[in-house]
Amino acid sequence: MNSIKLNKYLNLSHFRIASFYCAAIFVVIALFGLFSKNLALGLDFTGGYLTEFSTEKSINQKQMTDLLTSYLPEGFKVTSADGGTHWSVQQADNMYSLKDKEWLADFALHSELTITPQDAIYIGSQVGEELINQGGLALLTAIIVILMYLSFRFEWRLAAGAVIALFHDVLIVLGLFAWFGITFDLTILASLLAIIGYSLNDSIIVGDKIREIMKTNSEAKIDTIINQAIKSTLVRTMITSGTTLATIMAIWIFAGESLAGFSIALLTGVLVGTFSSIAISATVPQLLGLTADYYDKKEEDICQLP
Amino acid sequence: MMNSPIKKPYKYLKWQNLLIISTLLFLLISALPNLYVDKVNFQLSPINTSVPKITTIELKSLFDNYNLSVDEILTSKEKTTITLNNKTDKIIVNRLLSDEYKNNYRIENSVINNLPSWLVSLNAKPIKLGLDLSGGVLFVLEVDTKQALFDRLNNIALEIKTIAMEDRIRGVTVIQNNGNKQVDETSQNLSVKFPTKVKSKVDALFTQIKENYPDLTQKNDNSNQVTLSYPSKITAQFRQETMKQTLKTMRGRIEELGITEAVTLQQGKNHIRIELPGVHDPEEAKRIIGATATLDFYQLAENSKAAGILRMTDENGRKLSLNSKVVFSGSNIKNARAGQDKMSMPLVNLTLDAIGGKKMSQFSKKNIGNTMVTVFSEFYRDAENEMIKKSKVINVATIQQHLGSQFSITNMQSQQAAQELSLLLRAGSLTAPVTIVKQRTIEATLGVDNINNGIKALSVGIGITLLFMVFWYRSLGVIANVALTLNLMSLLGLMSLLPGAVLTLPGIAGLVLTVGMAVDTNVLIFERIKEELKRGHKVLHAIEQGYKSAFSTILDANITTMITGIILYTIGNGPVKGFALILCLGILTSMFTGVFISKILTNIVIRKNKTQLLGVNV
Repeated sequence: MNSIKLNKYLNLSHFRIASFYCAAIFVVIALFGLFSKNLALGLDFTGGYLTEFSTEKSINQKQMTDLLTSYLPEGFKVTSADGGTHWSVQQADNMYSLKDKEWLADFALHSELTITPQDAIYIGSQVGEELINQGGLALLTAIIVILMYLSFRFEWRLAAGAVIALFHDVLIVLGLFAWFGITFDLTILASLLAIIGYSLNDSIIVGDKIREIMKTNSEAKIDTIINQAIKSTLVRTMITSGTTLATIMAIWIFAGESLAGFSIALLTGVLVGTFSSIAISATVPQLLGLTADYYDKKEEDICQLP
Repeated sequence: MMNSPIKKPYKYLKWQNLLIISTLLFLLISALPNLYVDKVNFQLSPINTSVPKITTIELKSLFDNYNLSVDEILTSKEKTTITLNNKTDKIIVNRLLSDEYKNNYRIENSVINNLPSWLVSLNAKPIKLGLDLSGGVLFVLEVDTKQALFDRLNNIALEIKTIAMEDRIRGVTVIQNNGNKQVDETSQNLSVKFPTKVKSKVDALFTQIKENYPDLTQKNDNSNQVTLSYPSKITAQFRQETMKQTLKTMRGRIEELGITEAVTLQQGKNHIRIELPGVHDPEEAKRIIGATATLDFYQLAENSKAAGILRMTDENGRKLSLNSKVVFSGSNIKNARAGQDKMSMPLVNLTLDAIGGKKMSQFSKKNIGNTMVTVFSEFYRDAENEMIKKSKVINVATIQQHLGSQFSITNMQSQQAAQELSLLLRAGSLTAPVTIVKQRTIEATLGVDNINNGIKALSVGIGITLLFMVFWYRSLGVIANVALTLNLMSLLGLMSLLPGAVLTLPGIAGLVLTVGMAVDTNVLIFERIKEELKRGHKVLHAIEQGYKSAFSTILDANITTMITGIILYTIGNGPVKGFALILCLGILTSMFTGVFISKILTNIVIRKNKTQLLGVNV
């Protein structure tokens, strides 16, 4: 190995360690956001007010939404039934929503439609406490099982790296939503699940490479091994992240508002996930004291026959 | 490992190839129905020859007035046929036509699908679309929480009577709600009358009752009458619990129906709003959702001290007098499965929870040789909108032995009846009667523009990915792209096969992410091949080795994601479940196409040792 290459690896090590601390700071900022500002939970989580009315003439959903925008604060959801003559408007239960029927009377008066108001009632959330508890339980179980599987397949320090990276990715995205007050609904929850999958995938591929190099070259320093692993998976990481990001960008640009939150979550998730696979999942094992001759030792252990 | 002799790579084992190709074909055929769209056909046929003819122009202007798009209008002497592309317009068009032509024409409509007959015969169906993409059916259910409280008080009344009888306290009478049936929750009560001389014994009775039901408040009206009631705070709490329980049961039932992306929420004080996507048979959904099936197990009055008697007749017309206190009820049932006995008669196997098992064990031990009666009850509304409870005896059996928490109900009418009963019992029994008060078809929540934009976005995204792969990996990139396309189609096919899979817009976006995963699989393999080539291996050897060693990486990465997916699927519900399903299926198909299919393709395309591959000169 010539000196230039060595230098490069050294820089990469510095970069990794620095990014690791950066990531730690980001997580703290995200956590601070989550606790101080709370997530702006959407209708799916909070429940809210449901106003139903019917119109004499059938109109399409887009027209109705456009008409209602001037009477209602943002974040309402319109559903039409019976061929565009029966309408349900759902509003979140927060200080901005107009709780009484006044807006409807106003709307009926000013629009040129013949509107017959019907029910105006409180509706519960689609995601009850039950689902939140179950969801939390699911995540916890998933993390434990993943830890177990990875510890069995790899080494516990590599497994811990992957799981910590996973926490980092999810927390950062949640923090972003809290800081910018973007509505968190079921679609965003789905994207969080996708991020979990993506983050694990990324971490494991780097971890797998580390294991491979450790097996073939146990003489080298762990630092060098990790850097080598990152370098040789870099092209793959760039291509996969790049194409996925391109798709997400396309969704963001063309799919319009209905998927904007979804693409923001995924975009940050993929970016952060790529970053964390280098800065966290590869660095944590080193900080936890992974040594390059781990697999050698293990083989020796197995070979010791009585 | 590296020196191991390599078989000629293009001779990939033949039967494996066959298996892979037939699986692929099967999935592709399953995906085919998605190419065909459902259309709605209206037929107007004149009632007699003297009615005025309808012209195409007339119809067209009628539809244009209402902003409706029509696919095709055909007029002939006998009839006029109108074809709609958009299923959601069916109701409104139907109303429009019947307003205009009801008097002179007979109007019929049908949903047609121009699926070729061979696909129909294979029972292939297109994928179900979610509420956001194609709408569905809305049900509003009313939960009769008053009745639930009434039943609860009724049970207490029975308990009081039973204790009074066991303790030989004479002259105790219990009147519920002063004899009225329909009473508001807050004013429901029990008044207990008793002779003054048994006061001390009655006090002991009340202590016992209050021990079992600590929330009851006792008011002494005078020396021989006591009123028991629940404070309003408790009744409100009770109502909330009932609603929660009913919501949970409803979610369970919808899941049992195999629908993952439904919306179920509480509406107002005692209503439940259910939106079901992709339901083609609202009647069936209605039957399962609206059913308030409960099972209760009774013993005959003659075998026990009965505080009240319930008279019923079984299907043979035999009159039975039952002890009105239930031994245990459907809420103690943990699991129910339809099955068959040795004579292949349909039956339902029941598993009870701990409490039910204990009750059953105690009861059956004491009552060997006695009769146990299973009563099935359902609530429905009659023409005057009154809630009516319909109960029937479905099983009269002699207890042969000491039973535990597992036993079965035999004598079911049919296999279907057994299946339906087990489904209802499995999904949880309801503590309060539920009736459907509203049913509507709802339109897609996203609107056509949004859906089109979404699809456009996805096409652009996939397009960029495909172009990049060809640009970067050249010939191998083409193989990767073929594998990717096949992956998407197999995933669609797999989802069409599964009755529970529902596609929503976020779901489609999830699909694209699995494309990302599939790209990853190919990139991993190709990078491996490149590495092998750089090490100086021959092309064919490098390809073989690349696939082989990338496989373990791919497997590890995918198994971990799969674990997440499976856990989310089993524990989560609703939309989480739907997403987890797509994730898991996507992993399966991307492994299948990314590893196996693309290997076959590579072997077909690259049969000779080339001098140059992936930009590496060999």
